[in-house]
Amino acid sequence: MSEHDKIRALLALAAAGALTAAEEKQVAEHVRSCVSCSNELDAWRPIATELHRLPTPQPSSWLVQATLARAEAKLTEQAERDWNRRVMIVFVAFAWLLTIASWPVLQFVIGRFGSLLGPQFDHTWIGFAAFTALGWLAGGVAAVMLAIRQRGERRLA
Amino acid sequence: MAVDADVVRLRRGDLNALSELITRYQNRLYRYLLRIVRQPAEAEDLFQQTWLRVVEKIRSFDASRNFDAWLFTLARNLAIDHLRRIRPQGLGEPLANSCYSETVADRIPCKDHTPLDHALAAERRTEISAAMAGLPIMYREVLTLRFEDEMKVEEIAQVTAVPVSTVKSRLRRSLEQLRYALEARYPGGRWQ
Repeated sequence: MSEHDKIRALLALAAAGALTAAEEKQVAEHVRSCVSCSNELDAWRPIATELHRLPTPQPSSWLVQATLARAEAKLTEQAERDWNRRVMIVFVAFAWLLTIASWPVLQFVIGRFGSLLGPQFDHTWIGFAAFTALGWLAGGVAAVMLAIRQRGERRLA
Repeated sequence: MAVDADVVRLRRGDLNALSELITRYQNRLYRYLLRIVRQPAEAEDLFQQTWLRVVEKIRSFDASRNFDAWLFTLARNLAIDHLRRIRPQGLGEPLANSCYSETVADRIPCKDHTPLDHALAAERRTEISAAMAGLPIMYREVLTLRFEDEMKVEEIAQVTAVPVSTVKSRLRRSLEQLRYALEARYPGGRWQ
């Protein structure tokens, strides 16, 4: 491709202001000495000018208000969800803390009263673990059911 | 790059920041969507969806990035998905009965020009709009981002997720097609 052809391919972009500084310089130098390219650039300019001046269609005010209302509702819903998540984390942490803290208490109870309840009482910790697991499982099921119900209510709303 | 204060506030859940951002970007975003989908009702729906997506994703937005490019990328993805859903067989096909609304401000004549100049200029813009609406989507998009939103080539590359060289080549082809369409309609450059 000759230098002339290369520059000619850049003329539309030159009118669009989409060239690098080096390309712009090249085009400007070539156009000064080439009438054909100079005319071609002049043909591109009014198109670029008119494209810059195209009227801007504007959204109606109700659209902006409706968008704002919907987006605000979503933002509020997100904030509520974040709050629920934080509360859930605190509750779970508290529940674990309570479970772990109850272990020394259990040890104390076993040590103090275990012998009164017979040899099977040595396995009480298994019962305790099962009880704790059942409690967590019930809590998990309740949380899932509540979440499903909440989602259903939101969908209806 | 300066971090947009409204974007930072929105990331913290500030409703006023959301209002500020919608007000600031409403015209540009609506125009961009309208240029892509060409139907006001569809553009309005996508306008709302875009802002809902902004609210949903704002926390994952890297505040050091360009918010304009991010916003237009979200809008673009939604618009492309929408077009794929409703017109899967021809994303780039020109659409009959496309309409563009002109604002009242556009109809007010400038003091420096005669009513005839104004009428001719309005006609030229109508011709350009019509010719632009007839271009494939990737060309309409690059034209509106460059000339109406005055984005740099690098920003357009970010929005459209293509290399700068591709943006330049699309820009050149879109201008060539536009010129070809105008010259076909008005031989001898009479549209100017």
